[in-house]
Amino acid sequence: MTNVLASRSFRGPAADEAIEAVHNHLDSLWLDVPFVGDMDQMTFTTAVIESASNIVQHAEPVGQDPVELGVDIEVQPALLQARVSAYNAKPPFGPMTPGSPDEDAESGRGLALIEALVTTVTFERQDGTNTWVLTRTSQHD
Amino acid sequence: MEFSYEVKDSYAEVKADGRLNMVSAPKLREFVTDVIASGSNRIVVNLENTAFMDSSGLGALIGCLKAARQAGGDLRIAAVQPQVKMVLQLTSMDKVLTSYGSAEEAFGND
Repeated sequence: MTNVLASRSFRGPAADEAIEAVHNHLDSLWLDVPFVGDMDQMTFTTAVIESASNIVQHAEPVGQDPVELGVDIEVQPALLQARVSAYNAKPPFGPMTPGSPDEDAESGRGLALIEALVTTVTFERQDGTNTWVLTRTSQHD
Repeated sequence: MEFSYEVKDSYAEVKADGRLNMVSAPKLREFVTDVIASGSNRIVVNLENTAFMDSSGLGALIGCLKAARQAGGDLRIAAVQPQVKMVLQLTSMDKVLTSYGSAEEAFGND
């Protein structure tokens, strides 16, 4: 049984405003769980924003309806988990493995950064929804 | 995110206060491009009040660095905060974007 200590959820159009809203949710979430260390807060926030931005920038609608972004974040005693979803979206295009861009490249670092920041990244696709599940094993005792 | 700049003796200091994310990254690029176009090719981006940067923000800084070098100058960053430092280290871009303790130090020895 999971023991959720705090959580936040967002769902809305996959647009610029969503990124700021999700970031504000994260900032407010950390105020509820001050025992989560600064490093965990910083890394997890970065990974969630990277994933959500990836959806806003790249997800394409599968039908008439626009893509929506969904973010559900849970803090458990020793685990941070986020489900970052693209609703009404086509399956991701192209390789989902991190690239190794040249040092003067201006994009292509997001996936590698996410993998470096969290403990596990898994991908699910169901009924037109792409979901990235990010977990980080919390460093606090 | 709010941008401002000030032309000093030997460089222009750009401040980027707030979150440097996919929303503000193109605006930073545009802002710095305008500063370079106005005649400053030695740019210090003061990140003292930049609490957050993601890979989009990093890409914008790299774009600005290239623009400054193409104009015959350079771009350096100063007063990097912990989250930005983490992103620079994890992407190994701390070797490309030279970081200084303060804006004054960035071109201090040139």
